[in-house]
Amino acid sequence: MGTENPGRPGFPARPASLPFAAAPQTATPFSSTGPVAGSEPPSFRPTAMPPPPQASSLFSSSGPPVRPGVPGFRPAPPGTFNDPSVPPPQPPSANAPPAAGTFLRFPPPPFSSSGQVPPQQRAPFVGPPPIQQSGSQPPSFPSPPQPQTPFVQMGSPPQSISPAPMGSNVPPPTPTHQPPFPGYARMQQPPPAHSSFPPSQGNYGPPPPPVSSPFLPQPGGYAPSPAVAAPLGMQPPGSGPPIGGIQGLAEDFNSLTVQTRPGTMDPLFDSSELPRPLDGDVEPKNLDAMYPMNCHPRYLRLTTSAVPSSQSLASRWHLPLGAVVCPLAEPPEGEELSVVSFAPASVVRCRRCRTYVNPYMTFTEAGRKFRCNVCTLLNDVPSEYYAQLDATGKRVDLDQRPELTKGTVEFVAPAEYMVRPPMPPVYFFLIDVSISAVRSGMIQIVAETIKSCLDELPGFPRTQIGFATFDSTIHFYNMKSSLTQPQMLVVSDLDDVFVPLPDDLLVNLSESRSVVETFLDSLPSMFQDNANVESAFGPALKAVFMVMSQLGGKLLIFQNTLPSLGVGRLKLRGDDSRVYGTDKEHVLRLPEDPFYKQMAAEFSKFQISTNVYAFSDKYTDIASLGTLAKYTAGQVYYYPAFQSAIHGEKLRHELRRDLTRETAWEAVMRIRCAKGVRFTTYHGNFMLRSTDLLALPAVDCDKAFAMQLSLEETLLTTQTMYFQVALLYTASCGERRIRVHTMAVPVVTDLGEMYRLADTGAIVSLFSRLAIEKTLSQKLEDARTAVQLKIVKALKEYRNLYAVQHRLANRMIYPESLKFLMLYGLALCRSMALRGGFGDAPLDERCAAGHTMMVLPIKRLLKLLYPSLIRLDEYLLKVDLKSIERRLALTMENLDSRGLYIYDDGFRFILWFGKGVSPEIARNLLGADFAAELSKATLSEHDNEMSRGLMRVLEKFRNADRAYYQLCYLVRQGEQPREGFLLLTNLVEDQMGGNNGYSDWMLQISRQVQQ
Amino acid sequence: MGGKLFFWLVICFPSSIALLATTFYQVLILSDLEADYINPFDAASRINYFILPEYIGQGALCVLCLFTGHWFMFLLSLPVTCYHIMRYVKREHLIDVTEVFRGLNAERKFRLAKLVMYLILLIVVIFWILAAGSSIFYHNSKFEELDIRLNTLGY
Repeated sequence: MGTENPGRPGFPARPASLPFAAAPQTATPFSSTGPVAGSEPPSFRPTAMPPPPQASSLFSSSGPPVRPGVPGFRPAPPGTFNDPSVPPPQPPSANAPPAAGTFLRFPPPPFSSSGQVPPQQRAPFVGPPPIQQSGSQPPSFPSPPQPQTPFVQMGSPPQSISPAPMGSNVPPPTPTHQPPFPGYARMQQPPPAHSSFPPSQGNYGPPPPPVSSPFLPQPGGYAPSPAVAAPLGMQPPGSGPPIGGIQGLAEDFNSLTVQTRPGTMDPLFDSSELPRPLDGDVEPKNLDAMYPMNCHPRYLRLTTSAVPSSQSLASRWHLPLGAVVCPLAEPPEGEELSVVSFAPASVVRCRRCRTYVNPYMTFTEAGRKFRCNVCTLLNDVPSEYYAQLDATGKRVDLDQRPELTKGTVEFVAPAEYMVRPPMPPVYFFLIDVSISAVRSGMIQIVAETIKSCLDELPGFPRTQIGFATFDSTIHFYNMKSSLTQPQMLVVSDLDDVFVPLPDDLLVNLSESRSVVETFLDSLPSMFQDNANVESAFGPALKAVFMVMSQLGGKLLIFQNTLPSLGVGRLKLRGDDSRVYGTDKEHVLRLPEDPFYKQMAAEFSKFQISTNVYAFSDKYTDIASLGTLAKYTAGQVYYYPAFQSAIHGEKLRHELRRDLTRETAWEAVMRIRCAKGVRFTTYHGNFMLRSTDLLALPAVDCDKAFAMQLSLEETLLTTQTMYFQVALLYTASCGERRIRVHTMAVPVVTDLGEMYRLADTGAIVSLFSRLAIEKTLSQKLEDARTAVQLKIVKALKEYRNLYAVQHRLANRMIYPESLKFLMLYGLALCRSMALRGGFGDAPLDERCAAGHTMMVLPIKRLLKLLYPSLIRLDEYLLKVDLKSIERRLALTMENLDSRGLYIYDDGFRFILWFGKGVSPEIARNLLGADFAAELSKATLSEHDNEMSRGLMRVLEKFRNADRAYYQLCYLVRQGEQPREGFLLLTNLVEDQMGGNNGYSDWMLQISRQVQQ
Repeated sequence: MGGKLFFWLVICFPSSIALLATTFYQVLILSDLEADYINPFDAASRINYFILPEYIGQGALCVLCLFTGHWFMFLLSLPVTCYHIMRYVKREHLIDVTEVFRGLNAERKFRLAKLVMYLILLIVVIFWILAAGSSIFYHNSKFEELDIRLNTLGY
């Protein structure tokens, strides 16, 4: 490893993190004092540590320094040196049980700060001033030597020795204390600690400071830890005073105190103290310093960035253990992915486990071999890929090899990755032209939008396009380039569907451009007077399948009428409220006719991806239609009661986005990880092609997939676990590519550490997918209970970690990293897909919401679950220009009747006009009819500054996320029932009907946790 | 006596062999699927091809045993028949391509259990055949009416 990316921050980081590994480095800096160090090695260890972290970071680039120090210090050196990523695992065993756990925990960054902090505290404790300096200064100053020297001298006396023992001693206490400590670091209980510890200080004091960062966990308890915590940003906001007592332990968890309602005995939480995710989704940054070459969290997020080392530990983690992958997430403007071509050689991969070359692979034997980071097999470097190693052991061409420095790269796949020539982008449109479709104006908008997107369809000039329409018959259009007018071919035999013209139904867009345009121009008028009410959707689907099966591609279905003819005909269901709450309830959410599943499987097999646009104002059985999208990596768009005047803009934007976004064709995705861990279940829209291969006929940046992993071996012996997501696809340009995301995470032995590195976003994403899947086989109620139960179990386990040392009565504790989990859990239970029962959400909307939530990337899902509520009037009146950036908690109490608020869940805006909102605002924004009922009013720009200001704000919000178009709904306070179903049910913190409010929910959870 | 031998040798023996074979084949395909030697589409269609014949055959055998008064055989095959009926009524009898991996382990376990049942059935049938055959060839006709247990004791 060292060879490979010595320079990389990652490298240094690793070693540093280990308590011991670090030591060597310190040593190096002191090289001048060298002799001393050498002689003292054993006792030294601990002491050495202090400086290490920093030293490491400072020298990060310098591979060599490490070496010298190492020998003196520990057995580990060789290991470390070669392989930064996996460094010291083995060696530590002897000395430091702690090491393993420890090193994982603390990324280098902490050090710098930590180093500094500790010193001060330390000072008081440690009798001998010199020591402190050594400990404290190294960190702050680049030049470790100075501190060191004094230190060394000190070393000889008892103190120096003490550290050593410490190392060994520490472990014992660790087990019990561990949990508390890690977190505590920040705690700075300095004062108490000192006093309480005086006696022991002699031993502990000196060594800890330096060590602390690496060790936190174990020794932690004492003084050292303090520094670290702070950097990690774990600060417990709400944490009460440390209850630890003698030890003066600080808390590393958050807590809420249960109060008693005045006058009664009812306990309650102070609702203003409850945590709320008002900043939206925060991507985890914990590992950035430790593994800087990891891919960005927008591509891959783990529910906890710490893999448990044993099955027993994993079983105590009651939250889902898994990952959420968004392989094609859009990088921010200006950031380009590096595309790597190995031609003429093939892609460099590990021979045994097939892992793609990545930054964590180490090159050895003068660059002729590389060691796979996942399975540790030593592979030969292909001659075309050979490069010498420089003195530090890294490849000389490292800076020209993005695949060795970046967590995310794209490889150009050679011919052996193709089963057929790369397909061109294919778009096929299947449009319902029955009377309700005509009346809603959907056809008009679809035709216009497609026409306007023709220039932007990806893959010019290879793009192919085709159209079919259906009512009680199926109409195909011959769009051969030699024709001037499209030719309509009608198939009316629904029992034995055939394709009238095998070629020419799917044509090359650039060749037939004029015919296609003519067709789109005439399409709306063609069916203007159609009075057909039937829908032969099933047969049409079969016919289209015949047309598309040659190439595959993307099928967009515009569906307005419940399928009523031929195969796949569906009947009205779901209007029977008695079914809810019985064992038959879930059947409503399953496809009614196996035809849809079969078709979906066929589509997937032939690389066809299906997007369903449904528009009906009546029941259209999204549960059945959505199945088509579910297994073909598609998406469901549902516009209930579509009217082109109202919803047209939304359809236009979303269809446009669908047609023009970057799309990966005929893709398969696999996620690999090291031995001992296996991905077992997958959740999202795709079909499994084999046990771990996701077939994605077409996939784009708006789709995320979740998976859960399980431990296969009882004990993991490695220190680091690697995950690699590989998406093999055909780019729109016709090139076959492999997009690879690599991530390294530590393996930990401590449950507290898993909690510390937990990622609420990923957990909520997996939760919601599991819950939605559960609604397909069980009652809604059961799915909601399951969510709550899992949260309770997790918190209970967490509480058990701390209950021993702390008096926790009447307090609810939870990890800082999961402080929003409870609220998101509540929001999930109250989301459209899971809420209430029969009357709370129309069946179609519920199913559509479920389908949507199954594909949403984390960020968007969190926004949907906990939307932003922002006060606008102050901004519009220029009273307070900052107010627009302030998100409010979702509760009625925050709605001032003199205000104007916007509620934005990423899918729609709701503008709420308070009763007392100034008439000036209403008039300016709504025009003359501002007093009229708002359900009819639409928002349009008026000729005044305030209206323009509002439009700018809306535009700004829309630009923040372009995947969906947010239509603006207006509602006035007290306007029932509109206000109720648009806004009030969505204020998740309020109690509503049978639903819990936030503080009740917390109370419920805390009660169950304490049972 | 000849009728008995006919029943066991010509009806029960081939049918239980056939049941055993189809189940074994299905288990094999499922294992292949897990090892990625076959794609789920082919696997599902191959397995599904045999499912209805198997259900019908097994059900017919069970009913035949009931009507011919072979209580032991009937009781032996009854659990499997019930299981089949349950699956069929729930419409879960066919392998669902889209979710095949989700239920792979359960499906295989059920089939292995069925395999064991069929194997027991086959052993019993072979035993009856031997019993029936031996009663014809080695015993006088006076033993014919005796209970089969006597026959077995005779061995």
